[in-house]
Amino acid sequence: MAKPFLIYVKQCPVCGDGLCRVRVCHDLQRGRLTGCILCDECETVWTDPTLKQKFLRGKVEGTPCCPDCGQSLWEPNSHWADIPEVCLLGWYDSVQIVRKENRDQIV
Amino acid sequence: MARRTSNDPQAIANVLRLIPAKWLVGMLVALVLYFFLQPKLNAWFGWNLPSIAAMAGNETPAKPASPKPASPKPAQPKSAQQKSAQQTSAQAELASTKATEPRTTEPKAASTKPSGEPTKSPATAKAQDQDDWKYRILKPLGRDRYESPAGLIYAPGSEEGHRLSHIARHLEDQPDRPGSHGVFDGDMAAFLVAIDDAYKRARGHAKGTKSRLEDGMTVYEAPFDQTVGYLGGTEGARKKNPKLKKLRLVLRDRNLITAFPIQ
Ligand SMILES: [Zn+2]
Ligand SMILES: [Zn+2]
Repeated sequence: MAKPFLIYVKQCPVCGDGLCRVRVCHDLQRGRLTGCILCDECETVWTDPTLKQKFLRGKVEGTPCCPDCGQSLWEPNSHWADIPEVCLLGWYDSVQIVRKENRDQIV
Repeated sequence: MARRTSNDPQAIANVLRLIPAKWLVGMLVALVLYFFLQPKLNAWFGWNLPSIAAMAGNETPAKPASPKPASPKPAQPKSAQQKSAQQTSAQAELASTKATEPRTTEPKAASTKPSGEPTKSPATAKAQDQDDWKYRILKPLGRDRYESPAGLIYAPGSEEGHRLSHIARHLEDQPDRPGSHGVFDGDMAAFLVAIDDAYKRARGHAKGTKSRLEDGMTVYEAPFDQTVGYLGGTEGARKKNPKLKKLRLVLRDRNLITAFPIQ
């Protein structure tokens, strides 16, 4: 289901068209939530909203992976963060939040 | 037997002598009229009146019919009966024609398709249409992976599940999406052709093209002589959707990650 808000840091410095968005991975085995920044266009992964450090070595080839567990960020245990999760990660001041009124095309 | 046959004409002649001449003339006229009208009446009304030869014993009519067409009383119910019989047979014929219509047209329509291919419902036909451009341009490599003529690989991946579905996002504007969103002006087939063209030229360092490496990814840019799309998203809307004449491709090895028009 589409979330009511689109949360992003900025437009992607790598591809220019994507949005650097907050992705969270819920590691069920260890019971913890990991946040990272993922471009929704070129799939570049950064460890935090400063976009200073990319995460390049995942466990699944050809797919963006979680910097913590290394699993694919497109698996069902990962999702775009909502506002409470962004607050929990301490990144609220680093993101821009757009309300998605009639914005069904923004997933 | 021989005696009987030799006696019959004589018996008839004896009977004829007893009948008045007026009656004989009337009977002859009726006979001549019947001779000429019988086949026509049968043809017009679908009746089954026996011919004079049949009445003489040489032919047997299929159905008992009145030898007196002039008499309206017995003819009426018969004609009504036969008319309804004719209608039923016509309806059956019509029904049989209807039943054979699809049978004759279906194989004709199917003959243009590969043999053994079942007739498609609109939904599956649409799905087939969507696959048509894929197979017309791309070569299937198995496991839902496809190769373009220039050697680009379109494989499963991305949030949409497949790179082809991902780049399809750039066939439409997302006017409320923050920032810029390059929109290709054409269908998927044209987009794939343009991507291949840009890839070949950029890889060959053709004039105006750019390429850079980004931690295992390659970003190519290639200009086009003509407009390939326009700038969408909120940035595009703000700038009144300017036309774009460049494509940017993001690849990991030969795998296409994304592609879209840029300024
Ligand atoms: Zn990007
Ligand atoms: Zn994880």
